[in-house]
Amino acid sequence: MRYLKLYGYFLRFSFSRAMEFRVDFYFRILMDSMYYIFQFLFFRVIYLHTDLLAGWNKEQITIFISGYIFIDALNMTVFANNCWWFPIYVNRGDLDYYLTKPVSSLFFLSLREFAANSFLNLVIASAIVVWAINGYSEELATWKIVLFVVFLLLGTIQYFLVHFLFLLSVFWTQSPRGFGDVYYAVAHTMERPDRIFKGAIRILFTYILPFSIMASFPARFLLESFSWEVVITILGMTGILFFIVLTLWNKGLRNYSSASS
Amino acid sequence: MLSLKWPIQVYLMELRKIITYRADFWVNFFGQTFFSIVISYFLWDAVFSANNTDQMNGFTLEKLVLYYLIAPIMFRIQQGETIGAISREIYEGSLNKFLIYPINFYIYKITTFFSHSTFYFFQLCLMVFGFQLFFYDPEIYQFNLLDFFLFTILIGISSLCYFAMNSVTEFIAFWADNIWSLGVITRFLTRFFGGVLIPLTFFPEWAMTVLKFTPFPYIVNFPIQVFFGNYEIEMFIKSLMALIAWTVIFFFISRILWKKGLYSYSGVGI
Repeated sequence: MRYLKLYGYFLRFSFSRAMEFRVDFYFRILMDSMYYIFQFLFFRVIYLHTDLLAGWNKEQITIFISGYIFIDALNMTVFANNCWWFPIYVNRGDLDYYLTKPVSSLFFLSLREFAANSFLNLVIASAIVVWAINGYSEELATWKIVLFVVFLLLGTIQYFLVHFLFLLSVFWTQSPRGFGDVYYAVAHTMERPDRIFKGAIRILFTYILPFSIMASFPARFLLESFSWEVVITILGMTGILFFIVLTLWNKGLRNYSSASS
Repeated sequence: MLSLKWPIQVYLMELRKIITYRADFWVNFFGQTFFSIVISYFLWDAVFSANNTDQMNGFTLEKLVLYYLIAPIMFRIQQGETIGAISREIYEGSLNKFLIYPINFYIYKITTFFSHSTFYFFQLCLMVFGFQLFFYDPEIYQFNLLDFFLFTILIGISSLCYFAMNSVTEFIAFWADNIWSLGVITRFLTRFFGGVLIPLTFFPEWAMTVLKFTPFPYIVNFPIQVFFGNYEIEMFIKSLMALIAWTVIFFFISRILWKKGLYSYSGVGI
């Protein structure tokens, strides 16, 4: 309850701050809308040259795209700003502020900055998911749609946790960016259907850097026949990632010197 | 007469700053390159397999891999510094110092921009050299020193063009404070319509015709075509003229915005 109340304060503060930069607020909506358009255009060009991609036709890929757009929008709204600042805080020695508060430092650091200017994009992304599901020519069971949304929420948490894992390296490298650039490159994996990957790379993107699970698995759950393997992988990987992040966070804190570099 | 002494100092200082965190630098570089190639390779492998062919729109799968090795790094060269390098000075009020110092703000920013570009260019050369050494196959492309030289010159001009185009959006900060998202929009447009994400030969014919009237294909696609040796003299000259014309246009607009913007600049910052 205390944490919910605290999160309420974060939201209120974020909205009032977002309105300070009104033009940026509108440009951000435009920016994310363009990102969504380019995602659809990208696959439209690909589908000019093939009818099926990883076993999915145009309608199915539309649902898949809507899924990762939703994950991206939710991540941008809730987690992305916090991830941006985290390595900078460590580099400057500003993390002390978070460590000295009487709340979980990981909670405080991961959720403090709510991107109110991305919130409207989350609404747009949700509308795209509804549009994609409505436009699907075959009937989809309601319970599957509900679980699809739940799995997308878990996909967002996985997306954040993997990003945070890449940034935790800053405790040891002391740089102001961590391995964030690699993350942004590998994160595009989420935007491709998992079944295009084969062999060791498929294992890498499913179980080690589980970007393939985040959007592809929920889409597979919704569009294909029920599979326990899909459900267990989504749930299991979320738990494992959470455990790894917590462990490394504690180890990293022990390495944190509080000095700026 | 312009003194080159301080720009060289600024250039060297920026280079030193970039290599401060070496581990980060190399992990980010190899990581970005590896993952961008892997993701593209498997996507196109799926497309080629679905069509049961080994050549599409002038590309074999191997040539596409080389394309995705070159295009993202080249785009990084053209982007130089991160988004907001100019606008941040405006809305934080730190532009004040440039108005007092006896140096040209434009030249200062171009110098820092190119110091970042230089580093990415070094990465590109390393990649091309590595490819030549281990994977060179004349059937994929024929390495030609003249083409590589022209490619290098074009990267320089196209980087200048991107800098000018980006500065147009950055100077809007005089009126709109934080405009980080505008820089990202410019990046999205160039990445998609320039051909970083998908080679332009895969676009429909009508789209190619429309794109010729925009700066994007000249910034990304044109230098890569020259790298692969896919050009004729007439096409080369026309594209080069278009690239230079766009660069001049963007610098002209940017200059107007800078002059008008200074009248609106309060120097207070946030």
